[in-house]
Amino acid sequence: MTFLLTVTIATEVVSLVSELSPLLASGFGLRSPAALAFFPDVTLVALGDALASFLQPVNLFDVFLNGLAKSALYVMIAVGLTLIFGLMGVLNFAHGSFTMIGAYLGGLILVLTVTGTTGGLARIGLFFVGVLVVFGVLAVLGGVLEISLIRPLYDRSPVYQILLTFGLTLVLDELVRIIVSLYGLQPISDWQNAFGTRPAFIARSLDFGPVDVPGLALFQIAFGVVTVGAVWAFLTRTRYGLIVRAGSEDAEMTEALGIDVRRVFTVVFALGAGIAGVAGVLLMWDPVWGASVPLAAETLLPAFVVVIVGGLGTFRGTVVAGILVGMVDAVMTWWFQNAISFTGLPQITIFLILVIVLIARPQGLFGVEGVGGH
Amino acid sequence: MAISPGSGPETTTNDDRPETDSETDDGAETDGRTGAGDETEAEGGAGAEPSADTRAESEGGLESETAPAAETGTRSARADGTLVWPARYVREHLVHSGVLLFLALYPGIYTLLVNSPLRSELLAVLPEIETMVAVFYFGLFAMSFDFISGYTGYLDFGHAVFYGIGAYVVLLVATGKVPLLPAETPFVLVLVLAGLLAVVFAVLIGAVSFRLTGVYFAMITLGFGQVVYVFVRGWDYVGSNPRDGIAVSERSGFEIGVPFVDSLDLAIGQLTGDELSVLAIELSTTEVSYYMVGLVVVICYFAMQRIIHSPFGRVMIAIRENEQRAAAIGYNTFRYKLGAFAISGFFAAIAGGLFAGFRRTATPDNAFFFLVTGDALLAAIIGGFGTLAGPLYGRLFDEGVREFLSKAGEGGGLLPYLREHLSEAVLGTELLGGMTVQGAIETFLNGHASLYIGALFVLFVLFVPDGLLGTIRARLGGPVGKCLPDRAGEYVPERFERYWKGLER
Repeated sequence: MTFLLTVTIATEVVSLVSELSPLLASGFGLRSPAALAFFPDVTLVALGDALASFLQPVNLFDVFLNGLAKSALYVMIAVGLTLIFGLMGVLNFAHGSFTMIGAYLGGLILVLTVTGTTGGLARIGLFFVGVLVVFGVLAVLGGVLEISLIRPLYDRSPVYQILLTFGLTLVLDELVRIIVSLYGLQPISDWQNAFGTRPAFIARSLDFGPVDVPGLALFQIAFGVVTVGAVWAFLTRTRYGLIVRAGSEDAEMTEALGIDVRRVFTVVFALGAGIAGVAGVLLMWDPVWGASVPLAAETLLPAFVVVIVGGLGTFRGTVVAGILVGMVDAVMTWWFQNAISFTGLPQITIFLILVIVLIARPQGLFGVEGVGGH
Repeated sequence: MAISPGSGPETTTNDDRPETDSETDDGAETDGRTGAGDETEAEGGAGAEPSADTRAESEGGLESETAPAAETGTRSARADGTLVWPARYVREHLVHSGVLLFLALYPGIYTLLVNSPLRSELLAVLPEIETMVAVFYFGLFAMSFDFISGYTGYLDFGHAVFYGIGAYVVLLVATGKVPLLPAETPFVLVLVLAGLLAVVFAVLIGAVSFRLTGVYFAMITLGFGQVVYVFVRGWDYVGSNPRDGIAVSERSGFEIGVPFVDSLDLAIGQLTGDELSVLAIELSTTEVSYYMVGLVVVICYFAMQRIIHSPFGRVMIAIRENEQRAAAIGYNTFRYKLGAFAISGFFAAIAGGLFAGFRRTATPDNAFFFLVTGDALLAAIIGGFGTLAGPLYGRLFDEGVREFLSKAGEGGGLLPYLREHLSEAVLGTELLGGMTVQGAIETFLNGHASLYIGALFVLFVLFVPDGLLGTIRARLGGPVGKCLPDRAGEYVPERFERYWKGLER
């Protein structure tokens, strides 16, 4: 019922806009000055037409679905970061590198196990084997790094943790670059063999009546929902999750209650690194991202945006911000592809969201001032 | 907000006292010297700062006292007549002069050493002149980063915006794409214009960003930086392929010197620069660039140093140590932060302009990307956060290691050295899994300097958190320019002591 209503409204708007747009153009007889400055070849007419086309239900649905898929990815990328920041107040610059390593590791497992004859379901099965292995490996890596490098820095100012993880990024990225080029791969371009391991129904579009739905998008949405559900259940339904939440609220008090907060730190850091790795495995199948060394920086920045927009260290905020950023990204990608020929449009909007949110609500959408030691 | 007028005479009295007297300083604070009061206070409070550092700063000198020393020195000419201010000035600047002298002689030393019997070893170890030019301009950028981040404590992750503005303004003017400014506009003038444009940007960005603190400030500046970066990367006004940046082909070399006077300036750049022969010394284009870029950097360094030692700089440090307290005393900290940000943006743009002038090309990725700021951060931490000269040494260290461990620098480095000196047998030896020594060297030394820099950086953060200069300062118990002459005084032979003491306060 509501869907029908939305559709009618949308069509109304469409007709209205298409009626208006020539009027606007002829009436004013000018090109929009704002559009002129940045995007010289965009006229008001074209913008109006594009808006009309954008508001067609099929396109809207496409963008919405794309947005959900992107949201799922953004949430996946950012969840680990927010867990770590919420508990320890460490802004982990190495997070993107964990994702990148996860992408390569997951790709490696699939490329080694999948052959041309492997069936679709078997490939999905192997994918989840890869997810488990990557989660394990990166959790161990994260735990080791936390104990050996970050632990000595807790009593210093938070800047040093940023610096240390920044240095870590340089080392990890360069190590991966060496290893990858040792095997004759181009570190800066996406790993094509990893794309090749996708099952057929993920690589193509599924046909649902008037709309085509990319199988990959559905898979990503499902994966994102399951991960968010799992983390949410862990935080709210388990005893350890309770301890983690208590630790983020007040680490000293938690310690006073006899809980070894340092160990909780290690566990959460390992968990965050593991989730980052799993996000990497998911990205490896996505042609927009793909497994490459620059993936580290490409995922780190949106992860920061999502975490900051949501409010540093709040899980709920991260999920909402992930959806917000994903939707905006999808909308802007559509506009870039259809109306405005400015390559940086989606990216620039993402960072503009960050700036605007910080101006309007410095603590983020769901953030509480003062949480996380800042 | 005016700065306490009492600071002048009080600094004078401070100078009368022996160096270790910082406790009595505290007493003096109560009656009006505000900025420094916070620093001394923070000495006990903030554990992160090296205590020697803060103590040193509350005594009124960082590297050494430039103009305040001279100023107060004249006013407080001692009754015994031992202190003559020019002499004192010389003494305060002994270390500065030493470093400058060394840098001035470096091209000569390099040429001499590289032609000595130890040729190949030294070629591998010493940074080339070309590398030194890069150290200069990027060191200036790192210093400007330190100026805002190290002295006010606000980590600016979008600092590359200003560097990029400097580079792009220079290149856009040179390609004739800026209205009203012809391509042949004197370089020095363009540099200043670029700096002023950066000031405008800094005020705009800062006005919004300085409402936030801590991680949020770092993130909003990162956001602004990336907005500008992405915009520039897609800005097709600069050329058909904006991702590739701009390159200047037509314009003659960028000249540094007095504008409009041909005989008083020298062009920089490796291919387009001027050559010069003074007396019997022939200077190549790279060497001329070295001196001219170095000259600008040194001037900028002294300008920033002067600002840090001014009452304005005191307030900056006060903001770093305890902003609420500085505000409570009555300083409008927002304005001071904004001012410091604008100044630092100005010098960052100068650095970017020098970079563009020397290289004649810049891309969004090596001028605007957030990792450019990351490099400045690296240099600042390695050299010493909150020491103005530190980032320059940090960058020297950084570039030196890079050049030594990867073949980024065309000439020297470990890789060519090993190739030349290891015998065929050694090179052919198999290590693990069929990889020969040669293969291992190629794999691990060829262009992978980031690995070693990153590892060194992690070690620095863990074990040398004060950086090179900061640690030396902590050892000496004060700024190098102040303590080294004092230390040296102990070793002066007795019959010369009169002259040395004459230089003492």
